[in-house]
Formats: sequence, C-alpha cells, structure tokens
Amino acid sequence: MNRIEKHVEEVLKQTQSPENEREEIREELLSHLNEAKSNYISEGFSEEQAEEKVVAAFGNPRLIGRELQESMYPFQRGLLYLIGIVTILFGVIFYVNLIFVIREPAPVWLIIQLLSGSMVMLAAINISIVGRYFYLLNVLLMVNIIWNGINLMMMPSLTQLQAIFFSLYLLILIGLGFLFVFRNSYYSTKPTDNKHRKVLVKFSYIMNLLYGIIIIVLCLFFLWSLALFSGINIYAFITLIPILIWLIFYKYQMTFIARKPGLSLATGLLVSTLAIALSFVILRFSFGG
Amino acid sequence: MSLKMKNISFIFGMILLFLILLGIGCLAGGSEGYSGFGESTDISPDDQEIAFVYEHNGVSAIYTAPVSGGNAELEVEAAEGKSLLNPTFSPDGEKIAYVEQWEEGNEQPFGKLMIVDRTNGKIKEMTDEKGLVTEAAFSPDGQSLFFLEAGVHTNYSPIASERPHEFDIYRVELDTEEIEQITAKAAYDMSDLDLTPNGEALMYRSYDGRDQLIFQDLEDGGETTVTPIGDFDVDVPIIAAPALSPDGEYVAFSDVARTSENGNYIYEGYRMDLETKQAEQITSFGEHVTKPVFFNNQNKLVVTVDKGFASSEPDYSYWVISADGEERERIQIEVP
Repeated sequence: MNRIEKHVEEVLKQTQSPENEREEIREELLSHLNEAKSNYISEGFSEEQAEEKVVAAFGNPRLIGRELQESMYPFQRGLLYLIGIVTILFGVIFYVNLIFVIREPAPVWLIIQLLSGSMVMLAAINISIVGRYFYLLNVLLMVNIIWNGINLMMMPSLTQLQAIFFSLYLLILIGLGFLFVFRNSYYSTKPTDNKHRKVLVKFSYIMNLLYGIIIIVLCLFFLWSLALFSGINIYAFITLIPILIWLIFYKYQMTFIARKPGLSLATGLLVSTLAIALSFVILRFSFGG
Repeated sequence: MSLKMKNISFIFGMILLFLILLGIGCLAGGSEGYSGFGESTDISPDDQEIAFVYEHNGVSAIYTAPVSGGNAELEVEAAEGKSLLNPTFSPDGEKIAYVEQWEEGNEQPFGKLMIVDRTNGKIKEMTDEKGLVTEAAFSPDGQSLFFLEAGVHTNYSPIASERPHEFDIYRVELDTEEIEQITAKAAYDMSDLDLTPNGEALMYRSYDGRDQLIFQDLEDGGETTVTPIGDFDVDVPIIAAPALSPDGEYVAFSDVARTSENGNYIYEGYRMDLETKQAEQITSFGEHVTKPVFFNNQNKLVVTVDKGFASSEPDYSYWVISADGEERERIQIEVP
C-alpha cells in the first residue's frame, strides 16, 4: 500500500459507508489523487516527492473523513454519541439516587444500564466498522430503547417529583433512539431523486417504526402488569416475543420499504398484528385463560 | 489516538466508573434493612400500654410503651435472620404472644407461635419449626391460644405472587401445649383472628373471591357472615384488619374511603355496629389507616397510619382516636 492509498484508507475509517459505497469512494479518491500525483511527476518531481505533495495538498484525512461522513449521514454519528452519553449519565444519576434517596442500590441494574450505553458509544467510536451494518445499528438502538422502556416501568414506585423528572429524561432518550433508527433505516437505502417517492418512503419508514413503537409499548405494558402480580419470572419474557418477531422481520422490511413503500405499509401492519396475536395466544395457553 | 486505544480507554473508563459507583454504594451502606415501627399493635388489658414491633436495620423486636407516649421497653428481640410480628397481650397482661418468622431455602417462609413471660422474660415455643403460623389470639380465660397456620406458601397461578394459603385455625393449651385443629377449610386466605368476649365464637377475615367477615361458633361450628353497610369507595367489600370491640358489639376495620389523585386507594378506619351492620367512618387521615385495636375499658381505639403506603418502604405511626372519630393524637414513642 503506497502513501496515497494509506491516506485514503484513513479517510474511509471515519465513514460508515457499506462495502459497495466504500469501494466507490475509494476508487474516486484514488483516481483523483493519482491524477494529481501524475501531474507532479510530469512537472519533474520524483514519485515519492509527488506522493508527499499530493498528501499535503489533500489535508488531514480524519477531518476530511468526518466531513464526508457528515455529508452522507448527517448527525448520525453525533446522535449515537449523544444517546450513549445520555444513557450512561442516566445510569450514574439514577444509581446515585438509588444509593442516597431510595437506599437500595442495584449493581446488576447499573451493569445493564452502563452496558446498554457503552454499546452505543462503542458503535459511535467504531462507526467505520459497525456503521456498515445498518440493521445491526438498528438492533443495538432498539435494545437500548426497550431497556429504557423497562426503566420507565420502574418510575411509578418513585415519589411524584422524581417520577416526573426521570420519566421525562427517559422519554427524551427513547425519542432520540427512535429518531436515530428512523434516519438510519432511511439512509440504509439509496435515496431516490423522485420527490414524491422520497416522501412515500419516509412515510412508510415512519409508519413501520410506529408499528414497532406500538408493539414495544404493548409488550412492555403486559410485562409490567405481569411483573406487578408475580414479579419477574420466565413467563414474563413471553410478553417480549412480538418485539423479537418484529425486530427480525424489520431486517427484511428495511429493504422492502425502499423498494415497495406502499405495499410495505400493509405487510408491516400484518406481521405486527400477527406477532401480538401469537404472543397473546401463548400467554392464554400458559396461564390457562 | 488510534482507534484501538480509543476503544481500550473507553472500556477502561466505563469499568472505572462502575467500580467507583459500586464503591460509593457500599460506603453509603444502602441495604441496611428497614428501620421503623411495625404494622400491628395491641393494647394491654389495663389500657396503659401498647405492644408493637420495632425494626432496627431489619432486626425486629417487640417493645411495649405507655399508650400516652414515652419510652419504649424491650420485651423480646429476634435472633438473626428472624422477624417478629403480631404481638398480643394475654388477658392478665403478663404474657405477650407473638409470631417468629424466618425463611429457609428458596425464600420459603416458616413461622412459629411464641410466648414471652413478661415477669421473668422467659420465652416458650408453642408450635414446632415446620409450620407457617401467621397470628394468634388469646381465649378470654387466658388458658389457650387460637392461631392461624398456613398449609402452603405458593402461587396458584403464574401471574400471582407466592403467598401463604390453605389456612386453618388451631388451638393450643398453654399448660399442656396440646394442639387441636379447629377448622378444616384449607382457606385461600385468613387473617385477623379474634374471640368474642364470652369465648364461644371466633371472628376472622377470610378471602374467597372477596373479603368476608366470619363469626364461627366454637360449639357447633356454625358460621355467620357479616357484610358491613357503609359509604365505601369500591363496590366489592374490603374488610381489612377487622378487630372486635371488648363488649363484642362493634367491629372496627379499614376500608377504601376514596381514591387519591394518582389512583391509590385511601384506606380509612370504620366502626360497624354488629346489630345494624351500619359502618361509620371514624378516621380522616387521608393516609393509609390500618390495624385498629379497641381499648378495653375506654371508648377509644389505636390505629396504625402508614404514610409510606404504595411507596417502597412503609412509614408507620400509631394514633389514639376516640370511637366517634372526633379526637386523635399520635403516640410519641422513644425507642432506645
């Protein structure tokens, strides 16, 4: 790998482009820089000198990489950092509250909370590796959202003031999570130039995510009511099956929405309803009505 | 900084953050256990003393204190890992019966009936280690104790939490320690056992889809179910913590008087005339009122008020109220 190639790789390390897009950028940058290099050589510079000049003229590869990332996936990396930090910060604030106000610290909860935030932070740090897999990012964020939803279920046991403060905090965090998932899903497909189609695709993503939100809210509500009666046990997790089904389904739906935004509105609704119905049937059978 | 270094420093930083928070949690000594008054009380036959449970960092003990307030006196302290509950004065006031509960294995609770002799501090076990006794009441002659024992501690449905079930009433003679089974109901839930002043009938609360107040004749086993009439906030009768008056004419209990803004039931004390079944509200604390106990010779009651109801920890205090509900005064107790 010569100096120019290394330089280009450094640029690519800052972007989340998937393999094919990465290859396109690589080729374009290399042809552009190699052309400049040839120009320098024809001006009488040695190969090494020419490469040095090209690299110097090109500028800081990290900065350029970041700019490239921002122009293709605006605010996505920053959003990831923000969600990660806010999740970790919630862990710290709420744990301090558990220690000094509620006087019942829960280290296992803290581990899960910090892990959930750290996964998002690590995804942001390693955007060039993780960011290529849009579905993986979505799953990561959905897990973060569900966990914060579970946190939300603990709020009723707090005093009113605390409950309001922490619920608001969590709702903003969950909102940021959904915002990221929506944008990430949208960027995962090649945006078209057709304005009408663009709107339809966006609308379909929003609606499909809305199905997801409804499923999560329903499942967490069932989980919460079950936990209220019997505490968390193995049966309680049956209530989370629809979320799992929806999440697996969304992997295929993500590309389907881009291709058939209208039809995917219907398939999304159908699968979401079936997922809820299935879990309801399982629950009915396991609890004998 | 290279990507590898960034990852390593971030993970290292997070582990450090976790350890710091864990350390603060340990230093603050959060999980000390509950400190405060217990729920149920009893009043001595001469109306001078109140018996109650007090917990110091999760270790419970039974104390007595003047009903007018003042310094508490330790009667008996629980061994480590055990908790004491439901103290009851004997009719001569010289003994206190109570229940000692503990857990074994997979949170399986056990409870045995104990008596402490206040004259010499001697403790006597009245039942064995294998059962789950929950509470007891002295017969009016003081010769025997009636007690409730659960057959199992389980959940009948996976959506219910584990609780004691299959209750029955037993009697133990104080002299011979002979135990006799009085009922064979294996009831879903039973509590608040009391005896009529003549000692001929038992009164208790039973749950069979709904709360029931039952009088059971000890002679022929005949049962009478009493349903209070009153201005309650919920249609299904809730008869929490019923207590019989010393003359056997009234039953005090706690029921839902109204629903608070955030949807919690507000329980207040009620007094029912057993002849008319009419129940009058006798407290208006706006807090969770429970465990009423009648004075023996005065027209007054003691109730327990829980200011921490529906939160993570209870906050009990004891109040003397007049039977008509006109007056109330908190019993200020100094626990050593």
